[in-house]
Parts: sequence; C-alpha cells; structure tokens
Amino acid sequence: MSQDKLPQPLFSAVLDELIPARGDALAGAGALGLGEYVEAQFGEGAGALLPALAGLDDLSRERTGEAFAQAPSGQRGTLLTEIAGAFPGFLDGLLFHLYAGYYQHPQVMEALGLEARPPFPGGYPLAMGDLGLLDAVGTRGKYREV
Amino acid sequence: MSQEPVDVLIIGAGASGAAMAWSLAETRMRIVCLEQGGWMNPADYPTNRTSWESERFTGPFSLSPNGRGRREDYPVNDDASPIKISNYNAVGGSTILYAAHFPRFHPSDFRVKSLDGVADDWPIDYATLEPFYDLNAQMMGVAGLPGDPAYPPKQPPLPPVPLGKIGETLGRGFNKLGWHWWPSDSAIATQEHGGRAPCINLGPCITGCAQGAKGSTDVTYWPVAVREGVELRTHCRVREITVDDQGMASGAIYIDENGEEQFQPAEIVIMACNGVGTPRLLLNSRSDRFPDGLANSSGLVGRNLMFHPYAMVNGLFEEPLEGYKGPAGCLIISQEFYETDLARGFVRGYSAEMLRGIGPASTALWGMSSGRLPWGAEHHSAYDGLWDRTAGMVLICEDLPEPENRVTLDPDLVDADGIPAPRIEYALSENSLKMLDHAVARGSEVLRAAGAIDTWSEAPLPPAGWHLMGTARMGTDPETSVVDPVGRAHDVKNLFVVDGSVFVTSGGVNPTCTLQAISLYVADHIKKNLATLFD
Ligand SMILES: Cc1cc2nc3c(=O)[nH]c(=O)nc-3n(C[C@H](O)[C@H](O)[C@H](O)COP(=O)(O)OP(=O)(O)OC[C@H]3O[C@@H](n4cnc5c(N)ncnc54)[C@H](O)[C@@H]3O)c2cc1C
Ligand code: SF4
Repeated sequence: MSQDKLPQPLFSAVLDELIPARGDALAGAGALGLGEYVEAQFGEGAGALLPALAGLDDLSRERTGEAFAQAPSGQRGTLLTEIAGAFPGFLDGLLFHLYAGYYQHPQVMEALGLEARPPFPGGYPLAMGDLGLLDAVGTRGKYREV
Repeated sequence: MSQEPVDVLIIGAGASGAAMAWSLAETRMRIVCLEQGGWMNPADYPTNRTSWESERFTGPFSLSPNGRGRREDYPVNDDASPIKISNYNAVGGSTILYAAHFPRFHPSDFRVKSLDGVADDWPIDYATLEPFYDLNAQMMGVAGLPGDPAYPPKQPPLPPVPLGKIGETLGRGFNKLGWHWWPSDSAIATQEHGGRAPCINLGPCITGCAQGAKGSTDVTYWPVAVREGVELRTHCRVREITVDDQGMASGAIYIDENGEEQFQPAEIVIMACNGVGTPRLLLNSRSDRFPDGLANSSGLVGRNLMFHPYAMVNGLFEEPLEGYKGPAGCLIISQEFYETDLARGFVRGYSAEMLRGIGPASTALWGMSSGRLPWGAEHHSAYDGLWDRTAGMVLICEDLPEPENRVTLDPDLVDADGIPAPRIEYALSENSLKMLDHAVARGSEVLRAAGAIDTWSEAPLPPAGWHLMGTARMGTDPETSVVDPVGRAHDVKNLFVVDGSVFVTSGGVNPTCTLQAISLYVADHIKKNLATLFD
C-alpha cells in the first residue's frame, strides 16, 4: 500500500466517472470499492497520481465552484478529459489496473452472467459440437508424399 | 564436493529430459537428472484465484523469465531480437506453461532440401520417428480425431477436445472457403488417463493446469520415472560439463539447493535444457581441449536458432461464442497453406492454430489497448459488444535455419549463481516476412468467412519465442552439424543432446511432440546399443 493514501471521496468519484453505474444493476467502479484495489496495484507508485488528482479538484472548483466529487455529473467527464490531457500517462496506468480489477470483481462477473468464482475447481461444461462438419473436409490439405 | 558416480546424467527435467528418463528407467542403470527448478504445486496456479487473468501479465506465471523474479529462472538478453524468449524452469520445464497443442511434423518436413531446395534434409525421417510419436502420445495422453487428411494415418488415444460453439463457427468458415481444418491433436486428457483427471475446460492452460489434465511432464513421465528409480535432483543448476583426458564427458559441476558447488561424475551425459539452455551450457563448458565450448568444433553450437515467427489474427463476432470455456490453445488446426507454393512468393508454409476466446478482464484490457473500449458513459455498451465475441488464431510460420540467428553468452549478464547468461541475436528473413503477410491475409479471410464483422492482427508476435530449435543441429557431417543422427555429439562420444536444439529445420507446427519422439528414439538407440555405445 502506498504511503500517500489517495484522497477520498475524490478518487472514488474519478473511478465512478471512468466506469459508471450499469443502470440499477451495478454501481460504478468507485462505489464498488475498486479504489483500494487500484491503489494497491500501484503500490509505492500511487503517489504519482496525486498531482493530477489535485489538479482535477482545482479545475473543478474553478469551473463549477465545487470539488470534483460534488461537481455536476454532466461536467465531470469534460473535466477528466482536460486533466488527462494536462497530465499525460495519468489515465493509462489507472485504466489498466481499473479494468483488470473491475472485470475480476464478483459482482461484475455475476452481472456478465458468470459465476463469481475462479475457474478451478468448478470448470465449465462444454459440448463437443458438430463433428459432422468435418465430412466436407475430405482430402483437403492432403499431406505431401515424400 | 563429489557425488557417487552414476551411469546416466540427464540435465533438464522438461519435455525431452522427462521422456529420456522414463525410457531409460527400465534398464535399471543409475540415472540422475539435475533440474534447476523445483516441483510445481497445482494449488499455486492462477486458475485457483479470481485474479487468474491479471496474473498472466506479471509475476511468477508470466511468460518471460526476465519478468518472473524467480530464482529458478536464468535471465536472457533478448534485446537484439524482435521475438522474445518465453519458457519455464521447473520439473516439467516449459510444458508447465505450454498450450499443449500437439501436432506432429509431416513426412515432408524432414526432406525440405530434396523437395524444395532449401535448408537441409534431416538424417532421420517420419517413419523412423513414427513409433516414438505413438509411444509419446500414450504417455502424454493425446486427444484427437483419426482421419486427418493432412497426416499419414494415426490413432490418438483419447477423444478430441470439444469444438464447442466457437469451433463450429470457425469450422463453417473453413468449409465456406473449402480449406483444410481438423480438431487439433492436444496433449490434454479429455478422459481420465494414466491417473490424470479429465479436462474441465478451465480455459487458461498457459498458466499451468490446476486440474492436472494438461500433459505437462511433471504429471506424465516424471511420476513413473521416479517410481521406477530415476533420481530427480531439483534446485540444482549445472554450471559446466566436464571432460576427462580422453575428451569424454566426465560429469557436471552444479550448484545445489543450498548454494554449494557439487560435482556429479557420470558415464553418459544427456543434455535436455532446450534450444537456448543447451547451447548456453555447452558454450559455458570450455576447456583446453574444447576452447570454444563443448562439442563445438563445427562452430555451430548456438547458431541456426529457429523460433516460429507467429502472426496473431483475431475477429469480432456478433454472437456470443462461449469462447472462455475450454483449453485456450487447443481447438482446430488448419494446414491449408502448409506446403510450398512458389506462386505465394515464399518457400515452405504455416499452420493456423485456432484459439478460443478470452476472459472478461482480458477482453477489457484488449478493448482498451485497441481503442475499442472507451471510459465514461459509453463504456458498458461498448463492452457488451466485445465480451465473449472474439475468436482468432495464431499462424505458426516455418522458420528456416540461418547461422546469423544465434545464442551466444552475454559478456555481462549472469544468473543468480553468477553463471553467464545467454544472449539472443535474431532477425526475421525476407521469406518469413512474406509468409507472415500471407498468413495475416488468409487468417482475416477465414475469420470473415466465419462471420467476423471486424478483424485485427499482430505480426510478428513479440512474446512468441517459445519454440526453441536448431542450436545443436543433427547431421552426418561433423563439419556442418553438432550431433549425429542418434543425437550423440560428433566431438564427444558419451554426450547426447535430445531437446529442440537438434532440429535441422523447424517445420510449421509446434515442436514438442517431435522433440519428445526424438528423445525416445535416442533413448531406444542407447538401450539397444549399451554394450557397444562408445566403440
Ligand atoms: C507459453 C508457452 C506455450 C507453449 N505452447 C506449446 C504448444 O502448444 N505446443 C508445443 O508443442 N509446444 C509449446 N511450447 C513449447 C514447449 O514448451 C517446448 O517445446 C518444450 O517444453 C521444450 O522441451 P525441452 O525439453 O527442450 O525444454 P524445456 O521443457 O524448456 O525444459 C528444459 C529444462 O531444463 C532446465 N535447465 C536448463 N538449463 C539448466 C541448467 N543449467 N541446469 C539445470 N537445469 C537446467 C530448465 O529449468 C527446464 O526445466 C510452449 C512454450 C511456452 C513457454
Ligand atoms: S482447459 Fe483443461 S487442460 Fe486446460 S487448464 Fe483447464 S482443465 Fe487443464
């Protein structure tokens, strides 16, 4: 875990903006608690996100009069895009860890119609499929005699 | 410290070393295998955890030895190669991570000089290896379907891996174009086999099979070989093969699990460290008699390194394909473009190994890197259009031997025991580049025929340095080869090489069943000629 704990509720609001709620079915990434996962993945490097986050809050106050977490939802995306431009690389690493963590989260797996479990030991049933499709292959690709 | 002498010393407990140890065990000779890695614990494999997808990219189960941070691995300087080394160092060797796609060479692969005027013919042929392919298929537990027109008749011992919806979809695409395809021979126990549990379609076989269904040699050959008396010493890294006054191999100096230097004397030494590890060790074994490295009077140790240049082509489909279920790399093979057709602008050819789909996190990461998955309001609808809708293939191009492509010793880089590490110099030939272009175009064509609405590709595939061949080639002439037709070093009568280093050419298929068949064939020769082996 990094020494510079990322500021809340700002970081959570950023994650909610990156992966928003899926209707009523699923909360956004921040509300699902992905902040802790992402911060842990960055480890000591999490501090590198701080300048961009601080810049985001400053920009939000300047434009909306509110901190980012309280800014009108319609404006948050624009603010985030602008900050991503001013801090190149800010979103790249953040999205990598966020996407990986989010799509391994039990609630997200269930929302995709999967069971929230590792592949082992349950495995998956899988039908053999129609081997009759091979009837048409005949002598295609016949090996070369030597 | 010097150990008790043994009859046979095998170095490396991967695919080829395991087959050799098992085959020789019946002789009741004293056999020791030294392996720098340890036994794997299936409970450690990523499929035991929900983080199985992200564990593919970093950490102890990732592909590159340089990124794993395990003491058992040795670093490889592959900066001078567009294709990077992927391997694994443990009991089972690289079969711990391999996909278990298990096609044989074709009869023509052993005769490329006679047939196509390129490279060299092998001094052995398909018929010589055929009984050993069959034996190996039993031991590794090969699943497949008889009747593939692309091969002489063969009888895989187990039923094929399921096609599932994804296989049917792709098969229909091949049929539309009239191209060859067949369910892949796969070293995967589709039924209980030799005490191994059947495959339960976990998917990501290339981070290790927690079920024990995949034929990695720690669960196939090794348990039997050890039961039959072979001593497998783990966490023992060989530094050098020693020679006596007569120029015979006398044993090996190694660093044991406690970091102590040991000497193991032996009557016969067998190298099974793979196409990079074997030349590295031979080049590290210099002496007054062999100043350029052991068995290297031809100067060919380390040269003629062949990978298979890989292309990857994927397609996006409109319907879910259930592609995340089933062994990821074992589905269908197409050999429509396997043989030379000069009208294509290159010699020799390639196989298409069809792949199943990817998991939810990999889908998101690929969507991000390809620009198909935005963040923000559109994220979920974009993801829904990607999830479980991808299928694709890798195209395995035959690599021709070229002396400039080689393994040498790095002047600076060393492993954890201070032993010089290998350095790779490799460039893609014009022939390979043309073949890759052709493969990408045909791959996209068949995906479209199968219903893909979009396709994308990458060639060459950077991490695809997993087939390591040619660096101690086999031949009859000591000036143009390192080992003779039974794997014995021309320069050292009691030194054998049985891994992919001995390949004369690479074929256009994954190499493991061929290198294991060679290992069993060499073992058979040793067993039949024990009394006269050194005459
Ligand atoms: C990700 C991946 C996917 C693959 N997929 C396929 C596939 O689908 N089909 C296929 O046919 N092949 C595949 N392969 C390749 C396959 O794994 C290899 O062809 C095969 O394992 C090579 O066998 P080997 O005996 O030559 O070497 P390895 O299996 O690599 O074994 C060599 C052993 O020697 C040991 N060793 C090396 N140096 C020393 C030393 N100095 N002292 C002590 N021990 C030493 C190593 O630790 C290692 O365990 C894949 C490989 C990878 C990495
Ligand atoms: S798909 Fe089968 S072989 Fe592959 S890891 Fe899963 S159980 Fe093992």
